[in-house]
Amino acid sequence: MDSMPDRYAKELKAQKRRQFIWLACVHAILILACIVSIYPLLRIFSVSLRPGDRLISTDLSLIPAGASFASYANVIKSTFFLRWLWNSLVITAATSLIGVSLASTAGYAFSRFKFPGNRLGLTLLLGTQMIPAGMLLLPLFLMIMKLGLVNTYLGMVISYSVSSLPFSIWILKGYYDTIPRSLEEAALVDGTTQFGAFYRIVLPLSTPALAIAFLFNFTSSWNEYLVARVILSDSSRYTWTLGLFELQGQFVTQWGMFAAGSIMVTIPVLIVFLYSSKWLISGLTLGSVKG
Amino acid sequence: MSSVSFKYVKKKYGDVEILHSISLDIADNEFLVLVGPSGCGKSTLLRMLAGLEEITEGQVSIDDRVVNHLPPRDREIAMVFQDYALYPHMTVEENMSFGLRLRGTPNDEIDRRVHEAAQILQIEQYLKRTPRQLSGGQRQRVAIGRAIIRKPKVLLFDEPLSNLDAKLREEMRVELAKLHQRLKVPIVYVTHDQVEAMTLASRIAVMEGGYIQQHGTPMEVYNRPANRFVAGFIGSPTMNFVSGYLEPDKDKLYFKNDSMKVLIPFNIPLPGDKIDYKSVILGIRPEAIFTERVLDKNLSDMIAVSVEVVELLGHRKNVYLTCGSDRLLATVPASFASAPGEKMFVWFCLDQLHLFDKTSGARIS
Repeated sequence: MDSMPDRYAKELKAQKRRQFIWLACVHAILILACIVSIYPLLRIFSVSLRPGDRLISTDLSLIPAGASFASYANVIKSTFFLRWLWNSLVITAATSLIGVSLASTAGYAFSRFKFPGNRLGLTLLLGTQMIPAGMLLLPLFLMIMKLGLVNTYLGMVISYSVSSLPFSIWILKGYYDTIPRSLEEAALVDGTTQFGAFYRIVLPLSTPALAIAFLFNFTSSWNEYLVARVILSDSSRYTWTLGLFELQGQFVTQWGMFAAGSIMVTIPVLIVFLYSSKWLISGLTLGSVKG
Repeated sequence: MSSVSFKYVKKKYGDVEILHSISLDIADNEFLVLVGPSGCGKSTLLRMLAGLEEITEGQVSIDDRVVNHLPPRDREIAMVFQDYALYPHMTVEENMSFGLRLRGTPNDEIDRRVHEAAQILQIEQYLKRTPRQLSGGQRQRVAIGRAIIRKPKVLLFDEPLSNLDAKLREEMRVELAKLHQRLKVPIVYVTHDQVEAMTLASRIAVMEGGYIQQHGTPMEVYNRPANRFVAGFIGSPTMNFVSGYLEPDKDKLYFKNDSMKVLIPFNIPLPGDKIDYKSVILGIRPEAIFTERVLDKNLSDMIAVSVEVVELLGHRKNVYLTCGSDRLLATVPASFASAPGEKMFVWFCLDQLHLFDKTSGARIS
């Protein structure tokens, strides 16, 4: 029969083994998930480096034999790629700025003021998110056409802003709700107007939510294809999503250029993400009020 | 010279009236404490003065100027909030100077005033810190600094000490009293703590149910409470209340019930519509119950009681007594030696008796 210390040692060992198996399983799942998400990126990077004659290949190496940046140069030189990128950038930047400006003030109104239709308005805003985007395409196109905004930046900006506004309003409204009202009251007593209290106190404290709303607006309009397909027919106004599909012909697809273009369009998103990450810090209001 | 005046002020939320026709004047340099239990309307009244709540009816004036429709920034008031409400993205210095910067005060003047206020409140070494780097007491000092730096006409405090621990609260109470002597502006201070009210106020307004039940100096309110609510709310430990009836005997009037007979030493109106002799309440503060005869005091006849519980407070003892079906609390010197269960006699100090009508709770005097 085992002595007490031996039994404890065995129990401890078994416990450690169980913990090890559990951790190994968790890590295996995480590694698998990482591979699944990273593999397509590596693959497309690999395709973008291949010489034109070796696009369809069973070679799994990341940097293929004879790798070159020729596809990158080609996509810039032989297409309107920079033009598409510029169009996307203008539309996305305008959409994000207008979207965040409108959502930040609308969210504040929903969070702080009592007015008829406050709850109904919020519910309806949420309801619009339940409708599939495809369903709205036709009415959206008719509206933009009636406004004479087909093939214009403004038409695209309006279409994108209104579709991402409800989500941004909800995000910001939810965040404002966590900011103590006494901070604004203190600002009012100190000498600000209601808008001043919002602008000087609430907005600086809401940077995490503003950053999230901005990123959401930015990525959703940057990557959007369907609405752009319907509203833009003039190739000089194409966004990159439409432009890249131009490379897909009926008989031949220029996969190298397609892949190179796809890699390049991720760069602005990466920059925006990296820049925004510093604003995505929580606990900004810590210490303001007795918690 | 600054003064504040409430005239027939009402506050309604929908159909529910929270404050009922409040009238109150606050003189220059007066420290008025609004005290009452939670939900009595004291904070609402203060917020109406600050401009943070709309006034449903009546008139609020500061320096004879009606301010009903003025936004907070035009009322020349400053306020210290219960939860400090410091701007977390600003340093202590920026927090304190925020109001001055909004008003376009020159930088050197801002600097001078910030350092002056910081010196008074002993927070000079924290000026570059953010609120999250400060303790509760330091934050409260910054909040006070932010309020006094603007030299407002009226200073408002909304339960400023309720988030601090007992020791810090005591320290801050002394600081506030010193600050009032130095600033010489009217202060309106809201608290539910009657100790704060008694120690700080030059005048107390006791509120309950949206009414001012009584206002007067702390001693007036303590010694001559207008009704049973005020008598029970002001004073710690709280006043003892005993139900009974009044009965004239020869040319004297006595309060009686099954277990005691106490001479009423003052004249009261004859029984009538307003006073029902058959149903009254006798009030006696714990410190006015003596466990031994004191010659220089005007005492009642002895009353038989038994000791239920004895609490030692250090310098005093709280003794819980039963007297028939009534319970009494007496505060006695620490030398009091009786143990729970013992039978003994006590005497009421007749100069400190209070009588209240049982139905209305109003003082009978």
